[in-house]
Amino acid sequence: MRRAARWLAAHDRVRAWGLLAPGTLWLLAFFVLPVAIMGAYSAMERGLYGGVEPGFTLASYARFFDPLYLRILGRTLWLAALTTLLCVVIGYPVAYAIAGAGRWKHALLFLVVLPFWTSFLVRTYAIMFLLRDSGLVNSALLALSLIDEPLTLLYTPGAVLAGLVYGYLPFMVLPVYASLEKLDPALLEAAESLGARPVAGFLRVTLPLSLPGLVAGSLLVFIPSLGAFLTPDLLGGARQVMIGNLVQQQFGAGRDWPFGSAASFILMALVLAVVYVFLHRGAGALPEEVE
Amino acid sequence: MSQGATLTPAVRFTRVCKRFGETVAVDGVSFDVAGGEFFSILGSSGCGKTTTLRMLAGFERPDAGEILLNGERIDELPPWERPLAMVFQSYALFPHLSVARNVAFGLERRKLPRAEIDARVRSALELVRLDPGVFGRRSPRQLSGGQRQRVALARALVLEPPVLLLDEPLGALDRKLRKEMQAELRALNRELGTTFVYVTHDQEEALAMSDRVAVMAEARIEQVGTPAEVYERPRTAFVAGFLGDANVFEADSGRTVVVRPERMRLLRPGSAVPDGLSSRQGEIRDLVYLGDREHAIVGVGPVDFRVALRDPDRFEGETWRRGDAVVVAWRPDDAHPLEGA
Repeated sequence: MRRAARWLAAHDRVRAWGLLAPGTLWLLAFFVLPVAIMGAYSAMERGLYGGVEPGFTLASYARFFDPLYLRILGRTLWLAALTTLLCVVIGYPVAYAIAGAGRWKHALLFLVVLPFWTSFLVRTYAIMFLLRDSGLVNSALLALSLIDEPLTLLYTPGAVLAGLVYGYLPFMVLPVYASLEKLDPALLEAAESLGARPVAGFLRVTLPLSLPGLVAGSLLVFIPSLGAFLTPDLLGGARQVMIGNLVQQQFGAGRDWPFGSAASFILMALVLAVVYVFLHRGAGALPEEVE
Repeated sequence: MSQGATLTPAVRFTRVCKRFGETVAVDGVSFDVAGGEFFSILGSSGCGKTTTLRMLAGFERPDAGEILLNGERIDELPPWERPLAMVFQSYALFPHLSVARNVAFGLERRKLPRAEIDARVRSALELVRLDPGVFGRRSPRQLSGGQRQRVALARALVLEPPVLLLDEPLGALDRKLRKEMQAELRALNRELGTTFVYVTHDQEEALAMSDRVAVMAEARIEQVGTPAEVYERPRTAFVAGFLGDANVFEADSGRTVVVRPERMRLLRPGSAVPDGLSSRQGEIRDLVYLGDREHAIVGVGPVDFRVALRDPDRFEGETWRRGDAVVVAWRPDDAHPLEGA
C-alpha cells in the first residue's frame, strides 16, 4: 500500500490520468456517445413509428429553414436574450447589494440559492397558480375592481419570460457576486481620492472589474434559456413554442427523430457561436490598451 | 496680518475623535503640518495612525473635531472634492487599466484636454523614473513591486496635489528597495514642495525621512517633534521604547529618566570616572552583536542596562567579556526625565 502510494506520488502523469479517468469515462458514455448518436440520426431517414431508417440525407436540416421553424428559432433567441438582459438588470444590483452587506452576506446568499431546495417543476406550477385566469393576480385585481374580467396572463410571452428570469436569476447573481466580492475596496477609494464621484467610480472601476462575472452569468442564463422546454411548455402553452419544445415534440408525438436531432444540433451550433462571441469579445474588452 | 498666509498650516487637526462601535480609534488628536513639510505619523498597528490618515483623505468622518486644509475646513467634504492625493499601502492600481491610463485617471475625471493629459502623464512617469514609452502601455500585473509603487506615486503626483498622503507605501518592498525609495520620496518632497503626510510603523523609516514625526499610541499622539527631538528627548517611556533601545530607570534625583545606549559607556572598575559623569556599578550579562554595532547588557542590581560599545573601545583592543565587572557611565545631560513617571 505504502509502496503503491509512493510509486503514484513519483509518477505525476499516471496520477493526473487516474484523477481524470472517472469523469472522462462518464462524459464519454453519457455525453459524447449520445451526441454522436444524435449526430448520426440527424442525417438519417425518418422511421414510420419513430426511430430512424438507414440512409444519408440532410433533409432534416433543410426542413428547419421553413419560416415556421425560423419563427420558433427567432422567438427562442429573442426570449433568451431578453431573459439574459432582465437577469442582468435585476441580478446585478442584488449581487452588488449582497457583496456590500457585510455580516449579512452569507444569509443573503443562502436566500439566493434557497429555491434550489425545491423542484423547478413545482416552482413553475406555482407560477401557473399565480398567473392563471382564476389565479392570485387576477383575483386580487378583480377584488379591487381594477379590472372587469380576468387578464390573460398565462400562455403569453410575458409569462414565459417571467418564468425564465425567475428560474435563472441565481445563475446571474452568484457569478456577479463572486467577482464583486473579490474587488479590493481600496480600488474604489483610490478612484474617489483621484476625484471620481461614486457614479464615475462605479462605471470606471467596479463595472469593468465585474465584467468577467457578468459574462459568466450571462452565459449561464442565456444558454439554458435557449434550450428551455419546461417553462415555455407550462407557462407558454402551444402558442409560445421554443426550440426545446420543438425538439421534445419531434422525439415524442411528432415521431421525427432525425428532425429533432437536427434541431438539437442547430441549437448546439448556436450556443457554440454565442459562447465564442461572448468569450472573445468579452475577454477582448477587458484589458484596455494593454499590450 | 501680512505673514498670515505663510503661517497657515497645510494641515491642521483640532481635537479630532473617531470611534468604531465601542473602540476608540482616534482620541482628541491635534497637530499641525507646515506647508512643504515631510510629516510622519508613527505607531504600531491599531494605534489609530491609519484612521487619522483616512479621515484626512475623507474615507472616514470624524465624530468630533476639525480638519483644516490650508485654513479651510474639509472634514465635511467627500473624498473626491478634497484637493489631496493618496498612495495606498496595497498600491490600489486599477488592474484593468494600463499604467498610462492609471496615471491619467485623475486628470480624466477633471476633463482636461487629451493632449494635456498625455503630456502630464508622461512627465509624471518620468518624475518617478519610469520610461513612459516602455511602461505606459503595460498592465500593472506585469510590473514588479517597486515599479507598481512608482506608478501609484505617479498617479497621485500627476494631480499636483498640495498635500500627498502615503499609507505605509514601502511596507511590501525589500530592504534595499525601501532605502532607495525613501531617498527618492524625500527628494520628491523637497523638489516639488508638496506637503507629505506619511504613515508608517517603521521607526527607522520615520526618523530617516521626516522633518517631523508624530508618535501615536492607543489613539492618542504621544509626542510631535523633529526626529532628533523624539529620539533624543522622548517625553514618555512609550516613545523612548518605540523609537529605539532605551534605558529607563530612576535617577539619583528620584525622577524616572531615559538614556540611549549610545549615550552610555563602559569603564573598568577602579578606573577614574571622568568628572561630572553619573555612574553605576554592574556586571556584563550578555553581549549582543548587531552588525553595525554591539550592545552590552549590563546587570545593575535588578535592572538591565543596554550599553552601546563604541568603536574606539574596539580599536583600542578593549575586549569585554560576559561576567566582567564594569562601571556604566553617562553625562547627566543625556539623561532625560520622562513625563508622568
